[in-house]
Amino acid sequence: MDDGKRVDKRLGWLVCVILLWSGLILARLVMLQVVRHDDYLRLARKAQEIEVKIPPARGSIFDSNGRLLAMSTRLDSVFVNPLKVPDIDVASDILSRILNVDRKELCSRMEAALDRDQGYLVVKARISPEESDRLRDLKLGWIGLERQTQRHYPNDTMAAHLLGSVNFGEQGNGGIEMGLEETLRGQPGSEFVLTDVKRRFIERRPGKEARPGTSITLTIDQRIQFALERELAKAVENAHGETGSAVAMDPNTGRIYGMASYPFFDPNTKPAAGERPTNRFNHAVSVPFEPGSVYKVITLTAGLEAAHLTPDTIINCGNGAITLFGRTVHESHFHGYGSIPMVLVLAKSSNIGAIQVGMRVGQPNLYKYSQLFGVGERTGIELPAESKGRLRKKWEKTSLASVSIGHEVMVTTLQLARACSVIANGGRLVKPSLVLRRGSENVPVVTPVPVLKPETAMTMRQMMEAVVLKGTGTKARLDGYTSAGKTGTGKIPDPVTHRYTHFYNATFMGFAPVNNPAIVVVVTVNRTRLMGADASAPAFKAIAEEALRILNVPKDPLLVAADTTKKASAEKLEEDDALIAELARDGAPAAEEDEEAPAVPVVAQAATPGGPVVAQAVAPAGPVVAQAVVPAGPKVPNFHGKSMRAVVEEASEKGLSVLLDGSGIARMQQPPPGSVLRPGERIRVQFAR
Amino acid sequence: MATMPTFVKKSEVHYAAPRRLDQEIGGKIHDEDPYLLRSLPGEDVFFFSKRIDNARVVRLPAPGAKSAAWSAAGAMCLLAALFTVSVAPRIAHYFAGYRLEALRSEHQRLIDERMMLDVEEAKLLRLDRLQELARHHNLVPPKANQIVDLEPKPDKALAELSRKSR
Repeated sequence: MDDGKRVDKRLGWLVCVILLWSGLILARLVMLQVVRHDDYLRLARKAQEIEVKIPPARGSIFDSNGRLLAMSTRLDSVFVNPLKVPDIDVASDILSRILNVDRKELCSRMEAALDRDQGYLVVKARISPEESDRLRDLKLGWIGLERQTQRHYPNDTMAAHLLGSVNFGEQGNGGIEMGLEETLRGQPGSEFVLTDVKRRFIERRPGKEARPGTSITLTIDQRIQFALERELAKAVENAHGETGSAVAMDPNTGRIYGMASYPFFDPNTKPAAGERPTNRFNHAVSVPFEPGSVYKVITLTAGLEAAHLTPDTIINCGNGAITLFGRTVHESHFHGYGSIPMVLVLAKSSNIGAIQVGMRVGQPNLYKYSQLFGVGERTGIELPAESKGRLRKKWEKTSLASVSIGHEVMVTTLQLARACSVIANGGRLVKPSLVLRRGSENVPVVTPVPVLKPETAMTMRQMMEAVVLKGTGTKARLDGYTSAGKTGTGKIPDPVTHRYTHFYNATFMGFAPVNNPAIVVVVTVNRTRLMGADASAPAFKAIAEEALRILNVPKDPLLVAADTTKKASAEKLEEDDALIAELARDGAPAAEEDEEAPAVPVVAQAATPGGPVVAQAVAPAGPVVAQAVVPAGPKVPNFHGKSMRAVVEEASEKGLSVLLDGSGIARMQQPPPGSVLRPGERIRVQFAR
Repeated sequence: MATMPTFVKKSEVHYAAPRRLDQEIGGKIHDEDPYLLRSLPGEDVFFFSKRIDNARVVRLPAPGAKSAAWSAAGAMCLLAALFTVSVAPRIAHYFAGYRLEALRSEHQRLIDERMMLDVEEAKLLRLDRLQELARHHNLVPPKANQIVDLEPKPDKALAELSRKSR
């Protein structure tokens, strides 16, 4: 083989080697940049990028006027790396001066961390922005700042039970914070940030999208809430009660204007050691109690509908005592009444009268009407730990009597407000609601469910007005507005002896104005020795007056006129007192100081052996309203059975102002047909199908 | 140049006959010296030096060298421009990223500050505080009978409205 061939052969090998080498490099490049491109890109990004978690900003809470009730702000927490601290004494000195913490304690903590080789020590959580700026200006590598959020309740104790609070992880642990946790919390997200060697951010790449929490606008009005809490605290302290609760609600929509529980707490602070957990209970929705006489409203409503009784139906009150199956029940006020109209049974809060009505209604009907008023079921309000109260299915022999007067049944203050709304709004059961808007989206009102005939509700409304005008609830009479309500005093049983004590749950539930109720207020003082009329009715008066003023509800012209003739009214009331005295028999005291009776002469008509005494009033008592000497005006026409259009046309022709409620044909009207209309007075007409 | 070695192929060199020790040493015939070193590799390469006198060499411009230099410079400039064009946006991107991050953190700081101010405002407008201030200035809330409504218009006063429209 000559030299040329040998050289060619060598060159050929060299070319082959070079080609092979190039091919390998090309193959490797294809592998790196094409086949495993994503993997290596991910690895490269992992080295250069960091994943930053975005905590969702918790939604704020506002009242119905847009005033802030709760908000989360972002604050820094300071931590140090003790392993990198050059001089612990100097570091403690610097940090203690800026953060206003104890220098010695900080020094010992840092030394302890150093001994444990601990590279992370939180010096102070959630510092102020000023402190944060000062630390940042130091530019010390061993000091770090972490972003954290803090929930603020700027009104401190106001609406604390309603709002609830959050735990360290910003999760709701009570109130609306817990009830609407899903809405308020939002969803955490993340993003990938390209950083340089000094970990400074250069570029962001979105990861999981973060959804901030939705802000909530509540139905409560801060001003009404303030009045509610102020008056509740005053009522509980004056009555030497233990706890208390109050609810103010729109009877037509079920929207809560205010809800308070006593004692109060500050949601900005953690529970103190030894603090009773019950202080943080929302008594208005979570703690049921035996309502006592306020339940007579349900009993008597059932009497009107199921037993076809009327306000004038005479009820035998047995002179203050009745014995049923070996158990004797007395009047709560230690007064005995004879046979009195049903309107007075409610006004005077006669236990015997209510039991008699309950017996006429019967157990199935009383149970049914209790359910219709929402007793024994949760209202569905957006609050956690709501109690459904207690309405037993199995009743004992004396249960009918007990339930008739509000015992052996348990309700919450909110349930009472809901039941009272049924009377106030013309017989419809509303669903209480606390949320007005979620973000910018309005929360619609749940359509109320008709449970009573409008006529029944209107009659009951007048009977409850009599309670305020002439009955046990005179301390709930408002200035400038008509009001209606019912007092209640439920004895508290001793869990040990199973006997009733002389401590009471004193309640007043009512609404105002009577003709067109704008607000329902229920006040309960628990474990007091005072009765509802004394403990809770004054609070109702103060709350309702202020709430109606805040809600800009026009004053009742009837009462404006009545104020001008107060003297005449006083004379009339004195006359009524005298008539009450006539009704009471066998020398029983006529009435309490604040109780008055309507002028209803009664004559016993028939007595059924073994049955309740049936009596009939000679002259119908009619609706009990404030009687005032007023100037003569136009007579009220009879709208009964007419359509809404016909009523409007007729009223328009006669120059009358009417308030229309419901739909269908006119069923009830107030004032009644034929009565003289006072200047400025409007006629309320209730329509139903 | 003078120091440059010249390699000469073996074929071009006149090889002397293999050294015979008996011939080189006085014609005496000796036996092969077992201690004689073998020849070194490349021993047969001859070096010689040639003195070159460049005194008469005249520097002449190389034809095409200038254009080649300009071409090289142009190519380098082009490469530099290409490099700059390709890298500059990336660098600008980094600087913009720093600036954007600074603005973003400033934006977040302002949002946080505004939220803190909202909380502060709400604390200052607390009703119990306002009530205390009002009490301090001898102000009292009006009673219901002290308020006069100027022609209140209820929502459902249809008849009243229709009457007015006639």
